[in-house]
Formats: sequence, C-alpha cells, structure tokens
Amino acid sequence: MRRTPFRWSVSLFLASALAAPVAAQGPIFQTPGTPVYPAKPADSGGESGQADRFASVFNPAFSFLVDTVADYVDFERSSDASGFDADLRVLEAAAQAWVDPNAWAYFVGASEDEGLAIEEAALHYVGFGNSTLRAGRFFIDFGKQMQTHVHELRTLARPLVLRAYLGQEVKGDGVQWDHWLPVGDEAAVRWSLGIFSGLVPEEAEFASGGVSQELAERKDFGELNFTARVTAFGDVGSHGTWQLGASARAIPEFTAVDAVNALRQDGLDSTVFGADLTYGWVDDTGQERVTLGVEALVSSGDTGFDVDDPDTTPGTGDETLVVLDDSLFGAYVFADYAWDRFHSGGVQFSAAEIPDAAGSDVSELELYFTRWLSEFHRLRFVVASSEDDTRADALRFAVQYTGIVGAHGHGVNW
Amino acid sequence: MSTYTRRTLSTLVLLAAPAFGGLAGDPLRVVTTIPDLADLVREIGGERVEVSSIARGKENLHAVSARPSHLVAMSKADLFVEIGRSLEVAFVPGLLEGARNQRIRPGAPGFVNVSEGWEFLDVPAELSRKAGDVHPQGNPHLNLDPRAGRHMAERVLTGLVRVDPDSKDAYQARFEAYCARLSEAEARWKAQAAGWTGRAVVVYHQEFNYLASASGLAILASVEPKPGIPPTPNHVARVIADMKAQGCKVILTAPWSNDNNLERVAEATGATIVELPNQCGAVKGSETWISMMDVIHQRIGSALSAPR
Repeated sequence: MRRTPFRWSVSLFLASALAAPVAAQGPIFQTPGTPVYPAKPADSGGESGQADRFASVFNPAFSFLVDTVADYVDFERSSDASGFDADLRVLEAAAQAWVDPNAWAYFVGASEDEGLAIEEAALHYVGFGNSTLRAGRFFIDFGKQMQTHVHELRTLARPLVLRAYLGQEVKGDGVQWDHWLPVGDEAAVRWSLGIFSGLVPEEAEFASGGVSQELAERKDFGELNFTARVTAFGDVGSHGTWQLGASARAIPEFTAVDAVNALRQDGLDSTVFGADLTYGWVDDTGQERVTLGVEALVSSGDTGFDVDDPDTTPGTGDETLVVLDDSLFGAYVFADYAWDRFHSGGVQFSAAEIPDAAGSDVSELELYFTRWLSEFHRLRFVVASSEDDTRADALRFAVQYTGIVGAHGHGVNW
Repeated sequence: MSTYTRRTLSTLVLLAAPAFGGLAGDPLRVVTTIPDLADLVREIGGERVEVSSIARGKENLHAVSARPSHLVAMSKADLFVEIGRSLEVAFVPGLLEGARNQRIRPGAPGFVNVSEGWEFLDVPAELSRKAGDVHPQGNPHLNLDPRAGRHMAERVLTGLVRVDPDSKDAYQARFEAYCARLSEAEARWKAQAAGWTGRAVVVYHQEFNYLASASGLAILASVEPKPGIPPTPNHVARVIADMKAQGCKVILTAPWSNDNNLERVAEATGATIVELPNQCGAVKGSETWISMMDVIHQRIGSALSAPR
C-alpha cells in the first residue's frame, strides 16, 4: 500500500523526463527542471526550436565603433594644467536582433577605464500598434540630445546645460511606454512616460562639493524616478520640418552623502523641465541641409551641495552639509549647416546657472567642422571656449576621428 | 419614408462610414519610395489609387531624409512599393518600423518589392566595406534600366490585385494598355541607342550601369573611386588620364552629383557633362517613367552625336 504513491511518482518522473526533450529549444537531452522554451513545428527550423546552439543563421547584427579625440586645452589661469592629450574616448560594441515579430532587443557596451560597461541593454515590444514598451537599461527620453550617444552628437560634447542639470549620459534601469498618433496628413504627436529605479548622475560636473547622490535600494512607487516627454513634429512646406517638445525628469527622493565627513541629508528631491524647438531644411537633392535648434531647461528642487568646513580640515566634526534648494535656468542653441553629404559645420552655445551659493554662471561656445571621409568614418575639428565663474576659463582645440564598423541604421528621429 | 428622414439617414450613414473602415469606393492609399514607382502605380491603378512618393526626383536615394508626412502616410497606407535590394535603406527601415502598419510590413500583402526576380549586376563576390558602400545583393539602380519597365509594372500589378482583388480586371486592362505604350517606347529607345555600342562614357556614381548594359555603352570609369566614397584628387587625375587616353568625351551624372569635381574633369578633358534624371521628375520633362527614359536617351544621344 505504501509503495503505490512512490511507484506513481517514479513513473511520472520518468515520463516527464522523456517527454521534455521533444519540446525543448536547446539541448537534445534535457533533465527535468531545466528551462523549456516553446518549440516551433519541425519544418520551420527543427524540433529543437528557433536554432540549435551551433547554428548561426539567426545571429544578431554586430557592430563596433571607435571614437578617438586628441586635444589641446589652454586654461587662462596658469595654476591649471594646460597641454595636449589624446584619448580613446569610447569603444562601443553593439548587437541587435528581432526576438520575434513583435519584439526586438539590443545591447550597447561602452569602454569604461579598461573594461566594457553595459551602456544600454533593452527589449522593445512593438506589438501594440503605435505604442512601444521598452524595458531594460537605456538612455532617457529627454529633449533632442539625451537619447544620443556622445559620439553621435553633431559636435564634440553634449551641451553644457544638459551635462550640468542631467549628466553627461543619463541611463536608467526601468520601463518606458511611448505612443504616437498622426495629426492630419503632415504632423504627428508622440508622448512617452518612463519609470526607472534611478536616474541620478554618476558624476556631477558642477558644484557637487564632493557630495554624491544616493537612492534607496528599494522604494515606494512614488520614490521611483520618472521621465516624461511629449513632442509634435510636422512638415513645413516641401523642404522643412519642425519639432516642438517638452520633457521632464523627476527624482522624488534621494540622499546627499559626504563620505569624507560622514554627513548625509535625506528627503531631497530634484526635477528638471525642458522645452525644445528644432527646425530642419533640406534642399532638392537631400544633401544641403540647415538645422537650427534651441532647448531651455529649468532645474528645480535640491540642486546643489557643498560642505561647509570652518576649520578647513576634514573630519574634525565642525563640517555641515549645505544643500541648495533653488531653481536654475539654462539653455543651448545651435545652428548646423551641411553643404553636401560629406561636409558640415556649425556653432553651439550653451549657458547655465550652476547650483552654488554665489549664483555662478557657466557658458560654452563650440565651433566645429565635420568631414565625413565616407559614410562610415569622419574627422571633426572643434574649437571650444568656456567661461566659468567658479573655475578658470579655457580654450580647447580638438580633433575627433570616429569610425563605425558593421550594422548601422538611420531612422525616424523622434 | 419622408425626404427629411431619407436625408437624415443618408447623412448618418455617411458620417458613420469612416468608423467602419471607410467607404467602399475609397481609393487605395499607396506609398512608393521613388516617383518612378508612383508613376507606375498611377498608370495601373488609375482612379482607384491615391499615391504619394517619399523621395523627390532630384534626391540622392542613398541620403533621403524621412519627414513627418512620410511617417503619417506610411501609417495609413494600404500598399507600399519599393525598389528594394537596400537602395532605400537610408529611410525605409526606420519608416516601416515607426509606422507600425501591419498591412505593409515585409511579407504582408501590402508590401511590394519590385526588384524580386530581377537579375542583378555588380553582385559583390566578397562583402567588404573596402569596396565602398556596396549593396550585398547587387547594384540596386534597377529603375534606370530601360528593360525594367515591364518587370516593375508586373510587380505593381500583382501588389494592387493582392490588396484589391475586386478591381483585378480594371488593373489588368490598364496594365496591358501601359505595356502597349511601353513596347512602343522600348522600340524607340532601342533605335536611339543603336549606334552606342562600345562608346565610352564616364559616370559619377554607378547608377547608370543597367542603362549602359542595355544600350551597349562602355563605362570607362567612375568619378567616385568606390560607390559612396567621395572623389580624391589622385583618383580624379587617373580618371582624367584614362579619358584622354580613350578619347572619352561624355560624363553621365545625376542632379545630386553634378558637382565641381565633374567640372574639373570636363575642363581637363573637353568632355560634356550630361545631367540625367535618376528618378522621375529630376529634370524637366521626365515626370513619367517613359518620359524619363525618353529624356535619358535624347540627352545621351545628343552628347554622343556632338562633333568631337
């Protein structure tokens, strides 16, 4: 009597062990409990599913990119180190492929020190009509330039105001929903909403006072980080295109931490709003182009940090963490002209109030010329002048050489 | 039923109809990548179609920018027609992905690739960017082959019938009428090109290879060292030397590529620059595919027959 349940269990175990491999995607032999994937019919790729582990027919498209910069910086103050430098600014490796008819996935790895860090890795579900659900790690949808990788920018650096208020590159782990709809025959509106575990800048470029921003590991829903963007774009006559957008990034709850003096301040928040307007014109041949753009940002909430240390000796206990709760304004404007497919030049000016008690300003003016040697590599020459109330003014001359190898794409620029 | 009631009901039906997929008599919305294909759709579809083209006549097809109106048109289209073979890779994949129109996705009934079944020239034996911006499946400038009209029209007809089978007879009748006109035009082009065999020409970009193959022209060199690679001084000097050595006096180019490199070559060799339409509408009088081929043959004929 006692042995009957045991016999049944053994029989079921053996039956499932024998049945599992028939439906499995991967190994021919499969033990119970290993992952089982939905199998396709035998005539569409074999009984083991989309491909076996040794088939390469469904491999994703791979690419890599090398972005190098050599520059000379001349600081106005002799105490700052002027001179030449050369840098492999980024080595980027990427792969992308369709998962099935309704989803595709990609990853982008970028060099960081001597390693390769995951810059983006996300799945796009596109089976909801005009909507897209994006999940994973990806750049935030804010304005016209924050989704762009630094080597893809029209000039050497992201506009200063974006670096100051949002960060050099802002990526987050989370999900984003976006949707677009036509308005008449010549215009469209798109909106997106993103929810992330964290969007604090990895490194604050201005007025951080050595203070880092930290988020709780686990949060209430209201403490998650958010992005939102709505943009409309349309034709202007037969040669022009306009785009108007509004963006927001919110960090409702973070902590400022000064590790040196063991100081921390909880319950801080930060929100950045932006509004952008872009106009593009292209001639009959599609080669001569003019692009003009402006984006204004307001950074509000707890925007700046400093450590007040009366005796100027860290760790003596008289230090206090100073948090600046203020609204700051900044903007950038650019004009870009391409006289054919291979030559373009332009100017970009950016200015911003930075978060310090003195109410300092910074500005940056860049002039650039880009020569595409072919569709796949380019040379760029840049002169940049920066004025900074808190640091020395500087003049920078740079040469950038960038090459793309492998799959690359052009598409609708939202 | 009173007149008032009938009018009210008719008005309600008319207002409600769009919500149920449009009126039965609505024209098919067709988007093509280039004006040549739009012309063929118009010829075969007649009043049953409403067609728009993404590229304008003068554009370099490798550098067309997608515009918001293109995205909207693609999202509403019943039929999409492309040349294919990655000719339109600069704008089609992004538009297809953005438009999210299941009716015109590759493989759907509303997707037409007119290059299917065509025998391609210049298929690279080895795939490497060392050869420039090469197209893996061969030279994609099929629309500039005077022999390709019927092939492209057949693919358009098949696509129209697939998405609108009720109008098959009408499409077939218009297709046959078009083919009759095409046959006359083909005979005309053949006669015009009769004396061109072996005559050397230089091109800027390898977009006239099919035309040369059909008419017997010998392409001596391209001003681009490789497809998509801008001319270098060394290469231009070699082209000039070759032209002088061969006595080549004709340079074929399109409006997008008629630049100062060609002027230098023409000045150095005494050659004539012949600007040809690379798509319908690129030059005056080339608004239809047949008229575009007429213009191409007339211009080349004039240049070749000019006193040397």
